[in-house]
Amino acid sequence: MPHRDEDLTVGEMLRRHGISRRGFIKFCTAAASAMALPPLMGPAMAEQLRNVRRPSVVYLSFQECTGCLESLTRSFAPTIESLIFNVISLDYNDTLMAAAGEAAEAARTQAIHDNFGKYVLVVDGSVPTGAGGGYCMAGGKSAVDILGEAAKGAAAIVCVGTCAAFGGIPFADPNPTQAWPVTAIVGDKPIINVSGCPPIPEVITGTLLQFVSTGKVPDLDEHRRPKVFFGNTIHDRCYRRPFFDEGKFAKSFDDEGARNGWCLYELGCKGPTTYNACATLKWNGGTSFPIESGHGCIGCAEPGFWDKGSFYSALSNPAWGKSGEASPTEVLRLAGVAAATGVAIGAASAAVSRIRQHRQEQQAADNEPKGG
Amino acid sequence: MSRLAEIPIRIEPGAATGGLGGGVNAILHEIVRLLERLATLAEPAAIDLRSLPMSPQDRTELQRALGEGEVLATLNAEGTSIIHETRVPGVWWVEHRDQAGELIAELIEVTRVPEILASASDEIAAGARALREQIATAVAARAR
Repeated sequence: MPHRDEDLTVGEMLRRHGISRRGFIKFCTAAASAMALPPLMGPAMAEQLRNVRRPSVVYLSFQECTGCLESLTRSFAPTIESLIFNVISLDYNDTLMAAAGEAAEAARTQAIHDNFGKYVLVVDGSVPTGAGGGYCMAGGKSAVDILGEAAKGAAAIVCVGTCAAFGGIPFADPNPTQAWPVTAIVGDKPIINVSGCPPIPEVITGTLLQFVSTGKVPDLDEHRRPKVFFGNTIHDRCYRRPFFDEGKFAKSFDDEGARNGWCLYELGCKGPTTYNACATLKWNGGTSFPIESGHGCIGCAEPGFWDKGSFYSALSNPAWGKSGEASPTEVLRLAGVAAATGVAIGAASAAVSRIRQHRQEQQAADNEPKGG
Repeated sequence: MSRLAEIPIRIEPGAATGGLGGGVNAILHEIVRLLERLATLAEPAAIDLRSLPMSPQDRTELQRALGEGEVLATLNAEGTSIIHETRVPGVWWVEHRDQAGELIAELIEVTRVPEILASASDEIAAGARALREQIATAVAARAR
């Protein structure tokens, strides 16, 4: 029997920690439920996982607020500790790991070397490219360089949070650090975006668990998000939806409609255009979600949510969704194209210029005196 | 901390709340279909209750419709799970809770016995080995 932790299968690791097969079936059943997989997948997943070696996970944090990691550590099913101790081998996370300084950097290099081609790279935060990458440095290396090194040997990259997935708040106008999402930097790896500010903890752990148990990238939507979690809008699954259909809307946060739990559309709820699992998985172990707590959805899992105008303007308000510059969605769409062809930051910047130029041309054309 | 149910928000009863959550009949029909498959093809199945937009009233109504059967099992593994057969043979209500007592999965399993209750072959063999060692140790201790 192997003795090094990293050589153990998940089943051996579970036995070592005194977790029974039934306990693990239960863990996987809860995870399958969280992932909206067929319910009998739980026992099947448990059987499959018990026989695989625990995969190495390298978790990099760049330009972020650590809110995503805060969220992750509050996952109920599976819990982060059960995931870390039993299913994955979290070899590098600068916030959670005991090692610091050079020892921590050495752990990352070692994990990348030992598991080259097989590890899962989790990225949290956008990647600033301004000032030669100087806005985000660790151990004398820029975020761009660290990401580049770590991405080379990754089996897949999971971008946790809207910053890593779409640039997020650092990317918001005027984007002073020239921050970019991972897709704009890395072009030749399978990338799974788990957006949200922060993402739902069970969506993060569920995505990792699904990849680890199947070894495959799940079905993704146009923004590379797993369809099992991002397949419906908040509005589609909202328990207040019947009030929307009946035309019953709260007009202010303390009126009769609000107290009766009516639809928050007119108070700026972005549920109809936001794809996420908040209305079904909910937060804090299924306790509630923003709309259930009386506040509209702010659309935090969507690209460019920060630049789309007030959180309190109704979607029907023509001002919503417009910003003076190229919309991040447009930029990301082109950045995605750039990344897919292996071209990186330069192409994404060029995309911004192209959009600006297109806008100026359009504006000039609009300003021209019309005949007739 | 207040429980969510204690926060005084009034949800209007009637068609609006029943529109999405009123699927109890549909679930019962689904259970009948799954039971027929179990009887004819011996194929087990399950319904994930947490994936359905059910109101607390729907849940109570479903529990009442299925009733309580003869078997009630408590599983103590990573938290407590309650597994009971309903009044309908082959229909099991499975409730998994974590160590903090939070509900982490709730299923209706349509099967002869939920798989989680059965002992696994490798564990049976390991149990036999452990018991044999225990007997040997006890015999050796008596001989001393």
